Amino acid sequence: MIFNSIEFFIFLLIVYFLYWFVFKKSLKTQNILILVSSYLFYGWWDWRFLSLILLSTVVDYLVAIQINGSANQRTRKSWLWVSVIFNLGLLGFFKYYNFFVDSWVDMVSMLGYDIKSTWTLKVILPVGISFYTFQTMSYSFDVYYKKLKPTTDFLSFAAFVSFFPQLVAGPIERASNLLSQILEERKFDYKQTVDGIKLILWGLFKKIVIADSLAPMVDDIFANYSTYPASTLILGVTLFSFQVYGDFSGYSDIAIGTSKLFGVELMSNFKFPNFSRNVAEYWQRWHASLSNWFRHYVYIPLGGSRTSKLKSVRNIAIVFLLSGFWHGANWTFIFWGAFHAVAFIPVFLMGRNAIYKDSVVAENTIFPSLTELGQVLLTFAIVTFSRIFFRAESITVAFDFIDKIFTDFSFGTYQHPMGYRMVDYYVLIILFTLYEYIIRKDERSPFGFKSKIVRFMVYTIVILCLLMFYDSGVDRSFIYFQF
Amino acid sequence: MKKLFFKIFIYSILILLALEVYIRVFHLTKDYPVRYVDEFGVEKWMPNQEGYSVTGNRRQNFSEYKINSFGYNSYREFSPSKDKVEIALVGDSFIEGFHQNYYNSIGSKIENKLNGVEVYEYGYAGYDLADQLHLISQYKEHFNLIDHVILGIKFENDLTRGEYHIVKERMALESPFNKALRQIKLLVYLNSIGILDTPKDLVKKLFSNNKEKAPKVSKLEEDKQQKALEVEYLENFKSLIKIYGFDKNRFVFLLDSEKTPELFLNYLNEYDYKYIDFSKTLKKSKRPTTLIYDMHWNNNGRTLIAELITNYVKQMKSIQK
Repeated sequence: MIFNSIEFFIFLLIVYFLYWFVFKKSLKTQNILILVSSYLFYGWWDWRFLSLILLSTVVDYLVAIQINGSANQRTRKSWLWVSVIFNLGLLGFFKYYNFFVDSWVDMVSMLGYDIKSTWTLKVILPVGISFYTFQTMSYSFDVYYKKLKPTTDFLSFAAFVSFFPQLVAGPIERASNLLSQILEERKFDYKQTVDGIKLILWGLFKKIVIADSLAPMVDDIFANYSTYPASTLILGVTLFSFQVYGDFSGYSDIAIGTSKLFGVELMSNFKFPNFSRNVAEYWQRWHASLSNWFRHYVYIPLGGSRTSKLKSVRNIAIVFLLSGFWHGANWTFIFWGAFHAVAFIPVFLMGRNAIYKDSVVAENTIFPSLTELGQVLLTFAIVTFSRIFFRAESITVAFDFIDKIFTDFSFGTYQHPMGYRMVDYYVLIILFTLYEYIIRKDERSPFGFKSKIVRFMVYTIVILCLLMFYDSGVDRSFIYFQF
Repeated sequence: MKKLFFKIFIYSILILLALEVYIRVFHLTKDYPVRYVDEFGVEKWMPNQEGYSVTGNRRQNFSEYKINSFGYNSYREFSPSKDKVEIALVGDSFIEGFHQNYYNSIGSKIENKLNGVEVYEYGYAGYDLADQLHLISQYKEHFNLIDHVILGIKFENDLTRGEYHIVKERMALESPFNKALRQIKLLVYLNSIGILDTPKDLVKKLFSNNKEKAPKVSKLEEDKQQKALEVEYLENFKSLIKIYGFDKNRFVFLLDSEKTPELFLNYLNEYDYKYIDFSKTLKKSKRPTTLIYDMHWNNNGRTLIAELITNYVKQMKSIQK
């Protein structure tokens, strides 16, 4: 069941009705409803996946109680390792097992031994496994670091792990934010609900109008890159940059908006990353919940930046490589992570990694300065270039793609694979970027115009765009579900 | 909560109204001409209507239609006489040509190639051979004045019945309820872009209870059924010819031999039914011959068809000389 489907819309209406009208009086029944509906939502893909999420829930629930119940640091650490090994074991088996086997076979072949791999397994990757395993692990970490008391309410904890709006593609919530809200009574708030509906609408726009409509072109260009001129390859990866942004940030907006309908506030995951002025700012604005996770549970425990420069650089490299690997079992993602590490480290060494932490481009002006414009364009170009690794089928394809751009530059006009007018898409991207620039100061309020008439006009234009770019023929699933 | 529901209700209505306005102002969806059954029992368009046909979410195909006084989409009136040379194109939506500007039809392309010849297009979406022959027989005197009558047929669609009768499902589109629905342009638009398909399918699924699932048939059985169908369609063809008549000197079929079974082609050859085969010509074309949004011929496709018909008429003229 995906957010942009009629099934989800019906499901949401039913759950919403039951939540606020039938189970309104009891927090416990509300949480049971969240749990049951989340399991239904997840089981809609494949009911067998439910056993994994249930196992992960039980393990971290018990581990946290054991950690909290022990005064001995070694015992506490051992229990933490139980959680880490179990969750990473799940991930390792379902997501990385075949990758490790294939990589080992390739390595052995490179050394001159010809072996045929018979160890790879036909394993289906459970949707969202990378997200919920990280979320449950964060709970055990927080209890271990004594930032959180473990809950003894298993049902509420299970509802926290499986909370359907953010279950399959985040934001990856920390227990201190989400679990505390699940454990407390939630009241209907008119403004929160309206904000939620607006975010859902904006998320649908980004998904359907931006991501889904660009997908056929991106798929075509990456599948047939060898037949296209370099200018088309640049176009392809630029369109992919917008596609993946629309897809993932659209999902996050719908997730945050849906949570608001149930009185729950999730953290922001995207804060207009396309207007970042350097790579460090980009990582504060792109998939912020994952960056947060790595910062809290990997970077800081390794010493963070409160150690020697050399060690800090090592820590940054580790975080980016892990982040790349988290995305998928393919060398392309590891290269992608490494590329970002290489782009980030100079910014860090120059001490510019936190200078844009609390500001946006053109903070107090309407237009950005020329320097800011240059910075934004350069960052966008770096990030977009890295996406070649993110999108390519294999590392060989990625390097071929890059090679063609740099060594065989030629220009040619691109025709849409289905013959649609390309100008529609160029205009769309320009208007979308301009609109995001206008609203750049508040990612939680995409329609924050004071005038009711302007707001209403924008709503109707957004809905009209949804209709004008809706295509029943395209694959409507979200890119990040594969992670 | 009451406030929320009230506001959602008000906003929904206002948004629907605004969308209706946008769709009308930007002409994002098609106009529907009115259809009727005339005094001869022939289903066609109500004479003298004009409008626009639109395809695609963003009106990627936008064309004007003009229904003449005879009830067909055409750039000219039909006034056959003994002194002129006329060609009649009779067929379904491919001849009707709502997907093109009425002045850029196959007929007009033929006229540009054949000086002094008038081309009349009797196209109507859904017309099968029964409709076509019934029309010709009902307007016998009119058609007797026309020198060449070209009938577009698709074997699998156009020979499903052996006798003409009014297609009730088609005429039901003219019911007051359907007419009223068509006045809501937003609804027409949503339907045309396929957004209503999912809820429709969902409702169908809910009520069908999986009873409609066809049993699996083997390839052998499938072939058998296909052969039986071909025989049945051939019998329908014979029956139609018997009932409505067929002037082999003036009438010629326009068909795609690749999509026509050999059984039927052999029959046509054996009994001297002439046909123009457009299969190879369209296939040979380096440019696409159909539109992006539907299977109808685009400008290139229509030009190629017009060339084929022109060549045929020229060939017939030289034979007659």
